[in-house]
Amino acid sequence: MESTTQNRPPIVEMRGIKKNFGAVQALRGVDLVLPHNEVLGLVGDNAAGKSTLMKILSGAYTPDEGEIILDGQPVHFSSPLDARRQGIEMVYQDYALANNLDIAANVFLGREAVSFSLGPISVLDYHLMEQETKRLLERLKIRVDSVRQKVERLSGGQRQAVAIARATAFDAKVIIMDEPTAALSVAAISKVLDLIRELKAQGASIIIISHRLEDIYHVGDRMMVLRHGRKVHDAPIEGDIHEFRERAVAYMVGARNDFPVEEVA
Amino acid sequence: MSFIEHSKKILRENIRDYGMYIALFIIMAVFTATTDGVFISSRNIVNLVNQTGYIAVLAVGMTLVIVIRHIDLSVGFLAGFLGAVAAIAMVFWHWPSLTAILFALGLGIVAGLLTAFLVAQLGIPSFVATLAGWLGYRGALQLVTRNTGTIIIPNDAFNAIGNGFIPDIPVAIWPNVHKLTLILGVIGIAFFVWNEISKRKKLQAYNFEVLPPEMFVLKLVFISLLLGSIAWVLAGYRGLSWTAVIVLVVLLVYDFIATKTVLGRHIYAVGGNPEAAELSGISVKRITFVVFASMGFLSALSGILFASRLQSATTTAGTLFELDAIAAAFVGGVSAAGGVGKVTGAIIGALVMTSLTSGMNLMSIDISYQYIVRALVLAIAVIFDVATRNTRK
Repeated sequence: MESTTQNRPPIVEMRGIKKNFGAVQALRGVDLVLPHNEVLGLVGDNAAGKSTLMKILSGAYTPDEGEIILDGQPVHFSSPLDARRQGIEMVYQDYALANNLDIAANVFLGREAVSFSLGPISVLDYHLMEQETKRLLERLKIRVDSVRQKVERLSGGQRQAVAIARATAFDAKVIIMDEPTAALSVAAISKVLDLIRELKAQGASIIIISHRLEDIYHVGDRMMVLRHGRKVHDAPIEGDIHEFRERAVAYMVGARNDFPVEEVA
Repeated sequence: MSFIEHSKKILRENIRDYGMYIALFIIMAVFTATTDGVFISSRNIVNLVNQTGYIAVLAVGMTLVIVIRHIDLSVGFLAGFLGAVAAIAMVFWHWPSLTAILFALGLGIVAGLLTAFLVAQLGIPSFVATLAGWLGYRGALQLVTRNTGTIIIPNDAFNAIGNGFIPDIPVAIWPNVHKLTLILGVIGIAFFVWNEISKRKKLQAYNFEVLPPEMFVLKLVFISLLLGSIAWVLAGYRGLSWTAVIVLVVLLVYDFIATKTVLGRHIYAVGGNPEAAELSGISVKRITFVVFASMGFLSALSGILFASRLQSATTTAGTLFELDAIAAAFVGGVSAAGGVGKVTGAIIGALVMTSLTSGMNLMSIDISYQYIVRALVLAIAVIFDVATRNTRK
């Protein structure tokens, strides 16, 4: 790459994103900056606009206004698949796995390794996919009996781990996780958080949407709060957890509102 | 782990697959006993295979349709209609049999694409769309046979598909044994053994779990014996029928596509979780088109097999084939929830259902009881399926 490590542009920058649904202004000009190798926690009450913002970044919605800059280059996504091809991976809340297939099949779903092709018929390279999956899970310290286990036989935490592993399998530039710890047991939550830390240690850039503020506190570098389609807070995560939680909630419910708003002419 | 513990574990993990083979084996054994061996005679087995053929090919297609969470009720009369079209092409238009067959197969694909258009493009539930097809093709079948009634097909090449046998090697030894069938049987066994051994070696090279050696050898011996005895029984009459050859080719091609190719993987992914498949860049629409087109193609093949077997196209050909095919698919282990079901299972399911009919006919059991017995087998198969699926979780 042309940029040096010290002066690298952020991996993702969203500028002045606006999105209306009919008369509803879901996003009223939101900026988001994600530097390389940072974990950003995105919080806000229901209908604050965080899901809309992430759907725009992952290609599900097109913004009415504003631009997205990925690794220094302006980009436009026509579909989630397009965004994925350009390096934005989304881990959906309900894991989006095919439960009837095994782990390796899910990791490579839609991107199967092919040993050879005869016209429209492409033959799967089972061994390569299984080997790669094994290596990937080992690298992320995810423990399963076998990569040939069907996903329906995994626990909730293991499924989430597979979903996250799958997002990291193809050199994603940014990984977005939508409520990665919702509907998990306490033990599973701590494993998923460990996994997120491991990903960061290995250099990933991550955005997490979560209602669980303590998760953001434990793994995040920075927190961004949205309220009524505006960014109301954006600061590094510091202090003790009670202080952090109070601050987050204050911004979420509008008790504090001191973010320097650049008035749009 | 000891040998017995291993056997138990393997049996438990694959109970659904093995259950089907065990059921088929028990049904065959019971009928062999009750009919003083007539059931297992070469002649009856050949008849059984030829009767299974036109349902088996439908069941293969139906399995994939059910895997992607749809259903196709139109296949029976579509098969009947396309069989009649092939007959008309040969008898009235004087087309060569091969051209007529290719024409019918082509029309089958078009009909499948039409269904897929209704289902995938317009979003009509497949049950309703194919019910319309059921009515429409029934009407079409009556229309094309209205003036002629049953159309007799005087074409030997065409009729051989449903009644003929592969030629034998003209050598003088063993006059009453079909040598080519035996040779094919031996080749089949050799290929199976070679394939299993090379698969095992590859797995070991990658440090994956394999069967313990004694289980592996047992599996090889058992399946080789099974293949060998089938070849032996068939060779004792007139050898492998053309219908059996066609079903085997359909089985091999479809099993290969379903288990070894990207297309097959995507079909099962769409069945397991359509939203996840779509998000992964798999076009659910495209898969729906492919699966219904294949169903249309197999319907045409079924119609050709049936017309050839009867050496004629009748006004009621294909009646209730769709329900036999659906029953065979469910006995063969397909799950209505989608994403689960094997092509090999469909063939075994079809064999189970025709064996029941054939065996009960040989025992001269009242047709009313026959339906009830088949109902019980279908219900038991699905209950067994649900029960084993729940305990596995």
